[in-house]
Order: sequence, then C-alpha cells, then structure tokens
Amino acid sequence: MSMNRHQHFEELISASLADDLSDAERAQLDAHLDGCAACRATLASFAEQRRIMAGLRHVAAPRDLGARVRAGVEGGAFAPVPWWRRPAVMFGGLGGGLAAVAGALLAIVLLNGSPEDPNVGLGSISPAPSTSLTASSTPAAESPGPSATPGASEAAASPSASAASVEASPEPDLYFAYTGAFDNLALSVVHGPTGETIAEIEAPLGPPIAAELSPDGQWLAYVTELGQSGLNEVHLTRIAARIPADDPADPPFADSPIEVGRTVSLGRSVAGSPFLERLAWSRRGHYLAYTLAAPEGGGTDAWVFDVTVGEAQQVTNFGDAYAGSWMPESLGTSLWLSRAGEQPVSYGLQFNDSGGGPSEPGDEVNGSTAAVNAFQPLLSPDGSRVIYWKGVMGQAGDVWTFIEGGAPYLADAPVDDNPSEFTNERPLFGDVTIDRDAFTSASIVWGADSDAYAVWNAQWTGIPQGANGEYPSPRRVYFGHASDSRGLTEDHAIDEADIPEGSSVVDVKVTTGRHLVITALRPVGGVMEAPAADLFIVTRNTGRVADDVTPVRSADDGWFGPAAYDASSELSAP
Amino acid sequence: MVVPGRVMWGEPTMTDRAAHAREAEFAHLFEEFSSPIYNYVLRMVGDPDRAADVTQDTFIKAYRKLDTVTEATSTRSWLYRIATNTAIDDMRRRRMVSVMPDDSPVFTNRADDRPGPEAQVLASTLDDRVQRALMTLRPNHRQCLLLSDLEDMSAQHIGEVMGLSYAAVRTLLCRARGEMRRALAAEGLAR
Repeated sequence: MSMNRHQHFEELISASLADDLSDAERAQLDAHLDGCAACRATLASFAEQRRIMAGLRHVAAPRDLGARVRAGVEGGAFAPVPWWRRPAVMFGGLGGGLAAVAGALLAIVLLNGSPEDPNVGLGSISPAPSTSLTASSTPAAESPGPSATPGASEAAASPSASAASVEASPEPDLYFAYTGAFDNLALSVVHGPTGETIAEIEAPLGPPIAAELSPDGQWLAYVTELGQSGLNEVHLTRIAARIPADDPADPPFADSPIEVGRTVSLGRSVAGSPFLERLAWSRRGHYLAYTLAAPEGGGTDAWVFDVTVGEAQQVTNFGDAYAGSWMPESLGTSLWLSRAGEQPVSYGLQFNDSGGGPSEPGDEVNGSTAAVNAFQPLLSPDGSRVIYWKGVMGQAGDVWTFIEGGAPYLADAPVDDNPSEFTNERPLFGDVTIDRDAFTSASIVWGADSDAYAVWNAQWTGIPQGANGEYPSPRRVYFGHASDSRGLTEDHAIDEADIPEGSSVVDVKVTTGRHLVITALRPVGGVMEAPAADLFIVTRNTGRVADDVTPVRSADDGWFGPAAYDASSELSAP
Repeated sequence: MVVPGRVMWGEPTMTDRAAHAREAEFAHLFEEFSSPIYNYVLRMVGDPDRAADVTQDTFIKAYRKLDTVTEATSTRSWLYRIATNTAIDDMRRRRMVSVMPDDSPVFTNRADDRPGPEAQVLASTLDDRVQRALMTLRPNHRQCLLLSDLEDMSAQHIGEVMGLSYAAVRTLLCRARGEMRRALAAEGLAR
C-alpha cells in the first residue's frame, strides 16, 4: 500500500473523530480499517489525543477582563476621533498652518501629555512614549521646506510649549504592513511615529503598491496588486472620523455615509503603468480621482469617488482618459483630465465642493478651464508648480505610454486669469537630450514642501546618456528641487547603495526637502513565499558624503509600505 | 462602453441602530464568549498574562467591528478569527512565529518562560505536558487542532476562522494530529 493511500485514510480517520464523514467515506474507511493495522493504530492514537485535548483544564478568565475591555472600548471606540487624530483637534483651533508638522506635533503631545485632551494617553490602545517618538520629535537637521515654517512658528503659541522648535518630520504619518504567511496575510495601517496599528483591513489578494492619505486624514486610498493576474485593484478605507471643526462651514460638505473601518473597492485596472497608479485627493478631501484601464481593449477612463455619497462615478467615457491632479484652488474644485494620443491634452472638469458632483460624465469641459498641451499634470501641494508630460503617446497593450519624444516638464502652475497656460516651462531632467526615443513613462511625486520632488522607475528608450552610460536608469531614484535651476541631473540620483541589493523601488514619498521614504520590493522565491518589502528613510547627503538610510520596517518581517502622509495645503489655507 | 472595474458597497448592517442596542449586543457577546476565547488564546500563546492581553484586544477589536457581522457570518467563527489573528500578531511581535509555508521543516517555538502567578495553576502535570506539546506545533497546526478538539468546531467553521476551504481544513487537521501525536509521544503521553 502506498504512502499516499495511507495519508488519504489518515485524513478520513482525522475527520471521523469529529463525525465529519459522508456515508461513502465512512464505508470506505471502515472497509480499510478491517485490513490495515497501521491505520487502526492511527485511529486509536488520534482518538486518545482528542480525548486528552478535550480534557484540558478550563482556566477561569481574569476577573478584571471585562473592566479592561470596557476601558479599552471607551478609550477608543467611543471617542469621536481616533487617538492618533486627536492632537489635530487640539491644534485645529489655533488657526491652521499646522498640517505640515502634524506628525511631529503629535509625537510631542503624546510624549508630554496635554491638559487640553485628557483622553490622550489613556486606554489600552493609546501609544506609550517610546524611542521612536523621541526620534520623530527631534527637529530635522536641515532647514525644512517653506510650508513647514509657518506651522512651527504658530506651534510656538501652543500650550504645549515644547512644540516651539518643531519642524517637518522625515517620518511618514502612516504606512501599510502586509504580513503573515503567504496563505494567511493580513493588512494593517500603522502610525509612523509610534508604530501603533491604526486600522486592520481585510487583506487584499496582493500587496499595496501606492497609497495616498486624504487631506483631512479620514481616508486612505491605495492600489494593490491583484495576485498574479496582471491587474491592480483600487481601494479606499475610512480610517478616522471627521474632526469637529470650529467653523461649522468648514468643511462645506456633508459627512460620509461610510463608517470608520470600512473598506470600499473602487475597481480593477490593468497594472504596470505609473500613469494608472495616481490617486488624487481634492483639496478638502471631498473627492478622490483615479484611473481604471480595462483589459483587452476595454478602454481607460477617469473615475471620481465622492465621499459625501460614498459612491464612485466614471467621469469620462473617452476610452483614453486619465485622471491628473486637482487644479490650483484659485480655479475652484477642478480636476485635470488628460486624454492620451498623438497630441495629449488636458482639460479641467469642475466639481461642486459643497454638494453634488460634476456634470454628466463625458460632458464637454467647462469653458473656464481650457485645455493645455500636456499630459497628466501633477500639481505641487501648495498649488504653485506643476509637473506634466509632453510627447507623442501610443498604446502598448492596454495602456498608453510615450512613444516619441516623451519627457516630464516642470512649470509654474496656471493662475486664474489664464488657466490654460503653464509658464516658465523647463524639462524636468536638465541634462538629458530628448530625441525621438526618450522616456516612455516614469513615476513622479512631489514633496510636502512643494519644492522637492522624486522620479523613479524612469523608462528610457533612447541612447543611454551620462558618465557611465546608464542614465536615465529605471533602477535609480532621482531627487530634485524645483528651485534648483539645473533641474534633475545624473548627480541627483540618490546613492545606489540606498536601495537594498536586488530590490526594486515600489513607491517613494518625499517628506522633507532632504528626506525620502522608500518602499522597496525584495525578490521572493516563489508563490509559496509571502511578498516582502523594506520601508526606509533616506536622508540625502550631497558631495561625497553617503546618504543615511534609516530602516522603518524590514522586509524580513513582511511587506511594509507604501507610506502616506498629509501633504495637504488645505489646512494651511487662511 | 464597458465600464471597467466595479464599484462595491458594503451593506450597512448597524448604521442606524441605537447605541444601546450595540451595547447590549456586545455585552451578550462578551458574556458568552469571553471565557472560551480566553482559554483558546491561552492554549495558543501558552501564557496567562499574554492570553488576557490578547483576549482584551480581541474584544476591543470585536466591538469596533461589530457592524461588520452579517447574517451570513457565524458570530462565533468571526470572533475566533479575530482572536486567532490577534494571537498570531502577538506571537509575531514576540518572535514566536516565522513566516513560512506549511511544508517547511518544523521549527521549535520558543515558549515564553516568564512564570506568572497563574502559570502555577496551569502547570498541573498533564496540562503542562500537553501545553508543552502544543507549543511545539506550527501555529496553524496548533490553531486548527485547538479549534477542532478543544472548541469542538466543525471543519466548515474552522475554515471560516482560518480562511481555508473545507478540504484544506481536513488536510491541515490531519497533519496537525500527526504532529501532535509525535509531540505527545515525546512527552510520554501517546504511542
């Protein structure tokens, strides 16, 4: 008798102990047991084992368990705002300008406690002071971005006097943790400064590869891989309740019907293009814009999720349209929508920030926000600058890429009297000669200070350039500043050694003018291994000084990242 | 055109329920399940203090997720799933669990050796030896065996807790019994 045959009957024996056999299986097992001494011994052994297990001593639960649970529940779930958002309530009344430093302020408040919020620090889920808190409250060594400065000065007026020296924190506000065995993975959202879990999310079929926190901190939008299907899925999880505002007119839109803790799937899309992985929140967190490309020629179109109604709406039906970013506030709540093609073009679509959404999907664009000859404009958080693409686009399978003369450009954002014009245009890469064969795509992100930006996964089809003939490289991360007249150059690549050997960059966030938070995929051995990614902070040094790399979480323990942070300029608006 | 993707909303189940209804539901849940969950977790983690912490966290999470329980969900399976995940998280934090596929070689768990006061109670001879044997199992084997033989759950309910198919549970349970058989033999408790 073969080993496999024994294994089959051992499974039946095991199931029989819980009376979990069909009649046919029972008959089959009985017949086998009659002639198999080994399986009879297995039955006796398993039955004895079950008897031993069932006879384990019942231990009384601690008497204070109920009280402990009650304290935990009242310390967290009953509060209108989760603990990690409470400091924002406290500082919200100080007049704004604090969003850029919220993470660091939070760390200090939790460290010092505050008479204004007795709930902070109470309850079992409240974070305790830790070394990571101390680290996050330490001001960055270099000058922070301009947007952080007003926050720091206003923070000095706070009752929490120790906040006076707070500057932008290099740490992310949040990051994803996708951990567990390959067949039992769990997804959670972790608070960057403390390492505490903010939300646990039903695990998707693949790891998260892009994430954006809404400006009001209530929502986390993210893209996950959909197993090995070649598709991605866009999700939205509500991670916090709305913060009560002093001004009842702010925000001007209604609260969402979607409860805290709930996750909504926003659709599936062809994977593999950075143009499809952009998640764009409107300034106040009312709308999320994103793009879905259907496989097998189904077309690419832009979608917008309206938090007030808890529904997504397809806002284009061109089949070649991508969501860009939201336009400067002076132009109202308007979304740049880009159409791919030989001459890519971007339009504005106006939304109503106080109530209903846009006009009917596919309508002609509002005349006040005319077209520009650019693809997928990416506005800086403060609305002053824009990065966009130019060139000839063509379809590669189900996605569009640049096929001739493609390259990213930087310009000053349009102002209200001339919304269709990008002024002071210059190539993002200052030392790359753009010819017919050039970039097909790249991932680009702005920093919180609206000056720093990063480019990675640059797909270059032209003749290699640069000193070592490997430039631009898809394996390098280029870190530049809009205020740098040179633009990006080969020297702006962060150190090659910053990225773990063999790893590839999945996501980059620019948290200060000198810090990047990088998610890097570590190769795994096969489908039986859980995906793994390192999350780390790179402190950029110039000249011959090597960059500093600070691990946030190691891929040894699972997949960590992407990070998310509040890059909103909304809260700093007057 | 064909609209790509899908838009999906969860059906609100408790959105409009009054707070006191929620409270009553939770109180009932706690009364019925706090003791079994504590014992299950105790056997999972092997330490009374940590079991109390994990049980506490389990019910706090359950309270927050109460509105995700639907008619189709077995409340018991749902609660045990939360407890299981919380216990695994706890063990992972304490480096007692490695991420590894089911077919990897057996590794030895490092039991928490802090002797809490209740540990003395737990450490009656038979219990102690069975618990030691349990702690040598892979976490998913231990979990499956406890759910079956301690909690008397059916394969279907174990599947709900562990996120596995009925067939996978039967296979896993059989492997767990084989592993436990060897572990008990090492403790002199089985052939």
